[in-house]
Amino acid sequence: MILEINNLQHSYDGTTQSIKNVNFKVRSGEFISILGHSGCGKSTLLRLIAGLEEQTEGTIKINGEIISDDKFQTPTEKRGLGLVVQEKALFPHLSVLKNTSFGIKNNAAGRSKAMDLLDLFEVSHLSSKYPNEISGGEQQRVALARALAPEPRILLLDEPFNALDEDLKNNLHNETKKIIEEKNLTVLMVSHDKNEAIFFSDRQIIMENGRIIEEID
Amino acid sequence: MPYKLSISSWKAFPFLILLVFIAPVLIVLSSLFGDYSENWSHLYNYVLFDYVSNSILLILGVIFLVLIIGLSTSWLVTNYSFYGKEFLEWALILPLSIPPYILAYTFTGLFDTTGTANNLSREILNLGQDFVLFPNVRNIYGAILVFSFTLYPYVYLVSRTAFMNQSRSMLEAGRVLGLSQFQTFYKLSLPIIRPAIIGGLMLVIMETLSDFGAVDHFAIQTFTTGIFRTWYGLYDLNTAMQLASLLLIFVGVFYLLERYSRSETEYTSTSSTFRPTKEIELKGLKSSLAFFVCFFPIFIGFLLPVSELAVWAFSSNLGFFNEKFYTTTFNTIYLALFSALLCATLALLINYSIRFTKSRFSNLLSSLLSIGYAVPGLILAVGIVQLLAWLDNKVLLGLEIVLTGSIIGLIFAYLIKSYALANSTFESGFKRISPSLDDSARILNSSGWSMLLRVHFPLLKTSFLTSLLLVTSEVVKELPATLILRPFNFDTLAVSTYLYAAEERMFLAAAPAIAIVAIGLIPIIILTRMIKSSRPTTNKDGYDS
Amino acid sequence: MGKIFLMKLLYKIPLFSFLFIIAFETLYASEVNIYTSRHYDSDESLYAEFTKETGIKVNVISGKGSALLERLKAEGKNSPADIFFTVDAGNLWKVQKEGLFSRINSKNITSIVPKNLRGPNDEWVATAKRARVIFYNPKKVSESEIKNLSYEDLAKPEWKGRIAIRSSSNMYNQSLVASLISNLGEKVTEEWAKNFVANFARKPQGNDRSQIIAVANDEADIAIANSYYLGIMLSRSKGDEQLEAAKKVKMHFPNQQNRGSHINISGAGILKNSPNKDNAVSFLEFLLSERVQNYMVNISFEYPVLKDVLPNPIMAAFGTDFKVDEVSVASYGELNPQAVKLMDRSGWQ
Repeated sequence: MILEINNLQHSYDGTTQSIKNVNFKVRSGEFISILGHSGCGKSTLLRLIAGLEEQTEGTIKINGEIISDDKFQTPTEKRGLGLVVQEKALFPHLSVLKNTSFGIKNNAAGRSKAMDLLDLFEVSHLSSKYPNEISGGEQQRVALARALAPEPRILLLDEPFNALDEDLKNNLHNETKKIIEEKNLTVLMVSHDKNEAIFFSDRQIIMENGRIIEEID
Repeated sequence: MPYKLSISSWKAFPFLILLVFIAPVLIVLSSLFGDYSENWSHLYNYVLFDYVSNSILLILGVIFLVLIIGLSTSWLVTNYSFYGKEFLEWALILPLSIPPYILAYTFTGLFDTTGTANNLSREILNLGQDFVLFPNVRNIYGAILVFSFTLYPYVYLVSRTAFMNQSRSMLEAGRVLGLSQFQTFYKLSLPIIRPAIIGGLMLVIMETLSDFGAVDHFAIQTFTTGIFRTWYGLYDLNTAMQLASLLLIFVGVFYLLERYSRSETEYTSTSSTFRPTKEIELKGLKSSLAFFVCFFPIFIGFLLPVSELAVWAFSSNLGFFNEKFYTTTFNTIYLALFSALLCATLALLINYSIRFTKSRFSNLLSSLLSIGYAVPGLILAVGIVQLLAWLDNKVLLGLEIVLTGSIIGLIFAYLIKSYALANSTFESGFKRISPSLDDSARILNSSGWSMLLRVHFPLLKTSFLTSLLLVTSEVVKELPATLILRPFNFDTLAVSTYLYAAEERMFLAAAPAIAIVAIGLIPIIILTRMIKSSRPTTNKDGYDS
Repeated sequence: MGKIFLMKLLYKIPLFSFLFIIAFETLYASEVNIYTSRHYDSDESLYAEFTKETGIKVNVISGKGSALLERLKAEGKNSPADIFFTVDAGNLWKVQKEGLFSRINSKNITSIVPKNLRGPNDEWVATAKRARVIFYNPKKVSESEIKNLSYEDLAKPEWKGRIAIRSSSNMYNQSLVASLISNLGEKVTEEWAKNFVANFARKPQGNDRSQIIAVANDEADIAIANSYYLGIMLSRSKGDEQLEAAKKVKMHFPNQQNRGSHINISGAGILKNSPNKDNAVSFLEFLLSERVQNYMVNISFEYPVLKDVLPNPIMAAFGTDFKVDEVSVASYGELNPQAVKLMDRSGWQ
């Protein structure tokens, strides 16, 4: 069991609960999609797992080890996870290559690893360009490469393909799925697109109002 | 460093700085709880009323004039196009580079009985020695003029932004309903931009109440001159501190009003149906009138004083360009740059720690740290002198280090006074950095110092530079605190100007005064660039491009 | 992670520069630190001359007398000040009252300066004298009016609208009023002040020089100012305009038929916590040496303390043997708070 969530609860301001008692498990190598209407808490759940928010109750375990409960929080930077967000969030002052190698050592080995990943996503020819000089679809590819460089235990995707148009999306879908399967990655993806979810996932979790209401295999 | 300790030190840092910043102010306020000397009955019976009434009169007069000048010019410049408008639009902020005391010196030089203006008019109109065309300015009316013409740009800037953000649809609706242009202004525009204007007005009032150089020169009894006089004439520092506390409370009211108005503006900001106003073209007499209305404040507040200073400087055959002047200029710039560097670094670190630790007290913290700009420099200096003396005599005893009289006190005062400037620059700089960048960086194992230096600082270089320039300009202009806290062999340009002017040696005062204005122009130039680019451009369809 | 270490080092640099600055401030050998409230450019050459003669470096901080006093008080034992050099006995008295002076033991010094020009326990000595005199426009003020004119006469109604004098915030005026209180008592002085203020030609503004210029420009008929200004203006060192103005006025020593004109002093004392006491004594002796006394009278146009030194010819032309109010200048400071309050009450702005 690579990821275990137990009794997870969260509230932003102390009054309204955004996550109301969530439980689920993820096995190594699984691809889980988290679906639901906006405001159901799916992004919050992802942020809790990433350590960008703190839960009010409940535990999160990775590989059997408690990484956070209501008393103790492993900081985000130590959790060994990867994150790609809808806004891509590339560092505007760094080149594509520097962005990609940001999370790993910036030596020859690191740079070569980054180039390999960029190659996988077919954007290695853009390595010296800056984020504002490349298209949205290319930015998202770089973001994916960047997230994968430190070889994260779990990859978290928060609606990464949302802002892309149809053709780009399909292309990227195919490539990404291939890479994920090759590397046997564990992935949690938040999406509002059912078809996308079906394309990628081994399992789907549907959320509403801060709770899991359905699990589909 | 273990993670928990590192986070705690980031969390504690702003609070520590806050304690240090607030200490001088608290020391001054603490005098209210001490003894009250018998001098109070003298103060109460003879001068306190004057201090209060003069301060109130000053404020009322300045508010009145500043509103007229600031609102009329910003309204014209936003909604109309007329002769010279492109130039006038940014030139209207030039008076900000002239500190009130310098305008005061040039006013007396011009309008005294034997001043330039009267001499010239006597020559031109061929009148006898007895005839005086221009009235005496060394009174409260002169002071009102001085403050109004150097400080109106605050209101101008603020109301200009507010006007520009007005919805065209709303104004057009007003016209359709039959309101004239003036009525549109008065009934629709004004109420909405009122909170913003109040904010600008409060800044003006706080600067007016803090001033020492101008009111001293005009021999007007206000709190600042009263504090000096009680300290030095009755040699009662304690009573002076109590007077200072009164002034602080007075200023505090305006400070709170300003914070309140700032929060109001956030609620009344534009709706989503915003379309920028289209300019109405003025021709002929109307165009000339608009030009005159906008040119007049620039003339009085900038062109006139600068020309007078130039005349003085060249009258003394450039003899003032001596070693002393160079030393003073060097001292000033070195001191200002160093303080600005510290201040900018501090603002960067504090804003970062607020963001990084997701501090819940962030707004409160920022407000409290920024309080320094409202505290008159004179009062800060009094508090700092006491603080340093206490440190020297109780804490650092035995060590060879003496803080009192060292440059530390002065830099400290500048830090406290200018922090707000640097802070707001960085605040807006940080706002422009999406939080998702922080998230991504943290996931990639970069936090604390690493994230600050690898992600945020490279993206905040403009903010850093801007705050450097703004703080430098503020420090160069500062007078009362510098007079009190400066160390051996150390005069700044402001002090030099003051000392010469106090002896009516205007020719010699001109050189340092011009240097101050020149340095003050640098951030103005930056501001004007921002003004020029702040007009939302519209393409053919009338939508934002 | 080496980057982090480097960054932490950079963070410490502002701290290092602080310490560097503090260290820089600590004193190194052979200097004398002077706190002065004198604002005469001519003093610069005085200090330079002292350094040339003795090799001792002179560090100067200038400011208003009371600002310097507050600083001395705050600095306490750590104060680096050696000499307090000022104009106006009131300032000296203030520092003396706080117990900040040490007694001047040098016979070279105390034997030169007359008793009424020294502190009660030799805490300080005068280095030069000046009189606060009446400048008048001979075209507007007749011989009979000016003859035997005293300060007290200026309250009389015939002087209405004719008097120019600077603000009550100025130390020289405060000392003048203090001397009147000392000689005439508070009640009489207050009555005098009320009427005196009513005779002002304009609201007090500007410095002493401005008052003299006001008379030259027909804004007033008489001005009250310190004697040396006439010397300075007539010497042409401040330009032709001032020279012309000075030519239009004459100087009159008040109260010659009774107690004598009010005088004040430039003076200095050695501070208790002085770190360079010997250098301080050298500086005082320097100021009272014949050479420097000569220099001072010719540059700053004050009257010398040293008996054998003659005042500058320009000043001498107006009379050298004027009668001087013998009241101890030390009393000016003591009566200063009363004087200030009295001036407030009489509406002297």
